[in-house]
Amino acid sequence: MSAWLHTPTGTELPAKENTVKALSLMMSAAVALATVTAWADSAGPTDPQIAAIVVTANQVDIDAGKLAKSKSHSAEVKAFAQRMITDHTGVNKSATELVTKLHVTPEPNATSKSLQQGGDDNLSKLKTLSGAAFDKAYIDHEVAYHQAVLDAMDKTLIPSAQNAELKALLVKVRPAFVAHLEHAKKIQSTLGSGGA
Amino acid sequence: MALRRRLLLTAAGALIVTTLSRAGMAANDTAAPKAVTVHTVTIEAMQYQPQALTVRPGDRIRWINKDLFPHTVTADGGGFDSPEIAPQSSWTFTARKAGEFPYGCRLHPTMKATLTVR
Repeated sequence: MSAWLHTPTGTELPAKENTVKALSLMMSAAVALATVTAWADSAGPTDPQIAAIVVTANQVDIDAGKLAKSKSHSAEVKAFAQRMITDHTGVNKSATELVTKLHVTPEPNATSKSLQQGGDDNLSKLKTLSGAAFDKAYIDHEVAYHQAVLDAMDKTLIPSAQNAELKALLVKVRPAFVAHLEHAKKIQSTLGSGGA
Repeated sequence: MALRRRLLLTAAGALIVTTLSRAGMAANDTAAPKAVTVHTVTIEAMQYQPQALTVRPGDRIRWINKDLFPHTVTADGGGFDSPEIAPQSSWTFTARKAGEFPYGCRLHPTMKATLTVR
């Protein structure tokens, strides 16, 4: 359906090529979302599948935020973690209300399962770390995760959403992911110079 | 019936008298407050809309949060700082001091806007 992206020169390239290029810059979160972009070649996920992806994507970041809030000693990282908990909880509350209203039952699928697995792996890794190494690993993952989710939203989730309200919700929350990404990058730049 | 009509007339008369005397006072008293102008800024999709707003001293500004999570309205250099504004809630501030006030959200550092009072 939306398997083609328009390049600035007007020629068309398969979305997958761009996607692969972008993904190569990312880490584990991107791997978890790679299956989302694979959908660009087929009909794309259905609304019940999108609902499951959205809810899982938010929940995974809430869980990482809870761990970071309890483990980090940096006021800045803790504040960021709290922001992730609050904002993604707000998004999930609205997403849940909407799918309830629409009588859509979130349908677990390869992407939502892979996201959950990616989130679990991230938590396991973070639990082995502490101090500056923990902060860096958490924030690095947050940067990659938000970039990957944005990528999935733009290339697959928003174009595939059939229900207008579901699509509108995705469009409405997209700027929050952009802001979180910028926020995480800003913290990342200060952590990088601090050394371990 | 008659009693009710008389009561109504009395009430209406009292209202007219009150209104007239208020109008008379306002005409004589130049310091009487004018109707307060209320401006609205919408917070949605991580943005303040309008991004730049100019008001007069004494005007009120109401920020309405239409996002799904809280925001604040916090002047960079002091002057005003709201508590967290919950989704579907608002916060109102009366501008007193003239000046240009860049502000943003304490929770989301990428959000920026400007309030000018003059």
